[in-house]
Amino acid sequence: MPLILVVDDDQDLAEMLGIVLTSSGFDVDLVGRGDEALEVFRNNPPDLVLLDVMLPGIDGIEVCRLIRQESMVPIVMLSAKGETQDIVRGLEAGADDYMQKPFRDKAELIARIRTRLRRTNSDVTGQLTIGDLTIDVTAHEVQRGSGLIPLTRLEFDLLVALAKEPGRVFTRDALLSEVWGYRHSTDTRLVNVHVQRLRSKIEHDPEHPEIVMTVRGVGYKAGGPA
Amino acid sequence: MNRIRRALAQSLATKVILSTVLLSLGVVWLTGSALYSRLADGIRSTNLSSSLAESRFAFFNAQYQLALSEGKTPTERRKVLAEVILDASTQGVKESRREILFLKADSNLNTSQLYEVDSPILRQQSIPRELKSAVEKNNDLHYQYGTAYYTSGKSSEILFVGQRINVPGAGRYEMYIAFQLTSQAATISLILNSLFLTGFALLFLIGLITWLVVRQVVKPVREAARIATRFTEGDYSQRMKVTSSDEMSTLATSYNEMALSIEKQISRLENLSRVQQRFVSDVSHELRTPLTTLRMASEVIYNRRDSFDPLVARSAELLSAQIERFERLLEDLLEVSRFDAEVAVLEAVDFDLIALIHRAVNDLKVSENGVDSQIIVSSEVPTVAVKADARRVERIMRNLLSNALDHAEGKDVTVTITATPTEVGIGVRDHGIGLDEASLIRVFDRFWRADPSRARVRGGTGLGLSIAMEDARLHNGELDAWGRPGAGAHFVLTLPRIAGEQIEGRPIKVVPLDFHK
Repeated sequence: MPLILVVDDDQDLAEMLGIVLTSSGFDVDLVGRGDEALEVFRNNPPDLVLLDVMLPGIDGIEVCRLIRQESMVPIVMLSAKGETQDIVRGLEAGADDYMQKPFRDKAELIARIRTRLRRTNSDVTGQLTIGDLTIDVTAHEVQRGSGLIPLTRLEFDLLVALAKEPGRVFTRDALLSEVWGYRHSTDTRLVNVHVQRLRSKIEHDPEHPEIVMTVRGVGYKAGGPA
Repeated sequence: MNRIRRALAQSLATKVILSTVLLSLGVVWLTGSALYSRLADGIRSTNLSSSLAESRFAFFNAQYQLALSEGKTPTERRKVLAEVILDASTQGVKESRREILFLKADSNLNTSQLYEVDSPILRQQSIPRELKSAVEKNNDLHYQYGTAYYTSGKSSEILFVGQRINVPGAGRYEMYIAFQLTSQAATISLILNSLFLTGFALLFLIGLITWLVVRQVVKPVREAARIATRFTEGDYSQRMKVTSSDEMSTLATSYNEMALSIEKQISRLENLSRVQQRFVSDVSHELRTPLTTLRMASEVIYNRRDSFDPLVARSAELLSAQIERFERLLEDLLEVSRFDAEVAVLEAVDFDLIALIHRAVNDLKVSENGVDSQIIVSSEVPTVAVKADARRVERIMRNLLSNALDHAEGKDVTVTITATPTEVGIGVRDHGIGLDEASLIRVFDRFWRADPSRARVRGGTGLGLSIAMEDARLHNGELDAWGRPGAGAHFVLTLPRIAGEQIEGRPIKVVPLDFHK
């Protein structure tokens, strides 16, 4: 069973999350402090981290940054604030997704977690070429020449989603549903932040992208093979 | 002229200086002219008395010498006369020029003109007729001011003094001495010039002094005005300087006391409102975490309701529904607190407004069961590209539409879209219960309900329209409402095509086209 690490200082909420997740078929580790989260994470590496922003010890955004330094595990931030600034900071620190308290319903939470755990693009196999990048979908690897570019699972999924149909323009909503599994949302910040993060890893010059290109007023598309 | 009037109206200093100078001019004019006439009269009368004394002596001398010459020949007598005239013309300390005329009286019928002496430069006709006749009447000395006509053709003011002289054997003659007044006139004009000069210097000095004095008063007044302006502009730390203990300083002190009290009051109010906003925001945030737990717990219970007895099952349903409602209310409260704290941010993106409206309509259709009303969208054009905050615009539409459905009483709701190059209007029209004048004023107020006794159809939070209004304003747009009891309502959203730009008009009038009085 997939293991989920829940980092939240509200004991009742953590316990409730535990009940809901366990009943949905997950194993759960609960941590109440930011400074303890990393130790638990190392001792028992989870498949996904649910991370509250406001934590005693060190805050959730810092925890997110520290985990990201040593792992590409999916991280979903939980925020009670929901202010743009917090969300963007969390995403920039390496979170894949965020959920605003209170969650719309249990199903939404479970759906998001499942999406993040699922190996996406199972319909695509083999190798894709885009620009001077080689994407090995099966091995989950991106190479430029002989160099390996480390990407988080979400960044990889985003790149594959765009690269499997080079030249096709994806709206932000389409990417949200394809990569994040959102059925309906107008929060496009998620896409914007991740595209920027992806570009900073794969583009020669992130200011003038050649692989993931912006189509003004519509969305994004991938450039063709070099 | 207008500029002067404006300068006068605007500057206290100019006003004071100008009026002081004008008043001083009057005073200087009066004293100057009085002084002038006194001085001129004095000079004239001194001159006159010395001239008369000299003349008296000259006439006496002439009469005496001529009397002594009785018995001499006319040639010898003429010689005596010539000496007398020479004496008279060179006599006196004054260097003022004088001319002597020795004429035969008109009454003297002796035809020979033996003894007449003419001035080489002064014409005989210059002697005034009145003087001549006065001299002829008696033996007294007579004088008169008159005009001298010279042989050279010039003329000037002159003093004539005349007396009868008897020439032995030749009868009555008249001797006239004409005193030239040039030096007297020069003195008087010198005095006049000095007076003018002094007068102007005095006026200038008075002006200067007034300016200096006025500046002393006006400068602190200007300074006070400047400080008051800065204060009005929001710099509440501005204070006036208190340097002495005069009236200006009293003003400064009381002004400063007022400013301090206002500053205190303002900061107290600001603090109060900040604390209140913080409180609302904190409460809303703090409520979120327990609400999340509540929500999940109620869901677990709700999902098992089939296994409970009917009373508990119904309670689970109510619990779940009310938590949902509570959550919506919390979200709206949070949004309102963001607007109040002025931290609401506009995230403008390019999108098609028509597509967004269709989506909002469809979402409502999906969520609304048991409502008979249909929503009909009509637009002149298939797409309207705008740059706006999609989330907020969708929320405005959702609020306007659900409000319309709430009050439509089963009748259809029409959405009209009209776009101009600079702005777009969206009208949401229902034909339901409508609104009266009093309600229209309050329709955007928080938690306001048109009819408190009326049951809620869908459990709105009471904040929807007020949030919609704030959302519209954040775009620099407007939200207008129209309504008539029984004739339905019309809400018109006007947005600039590019968020933040000014809207110049209303593509859709708030009074609906289908409404006729």
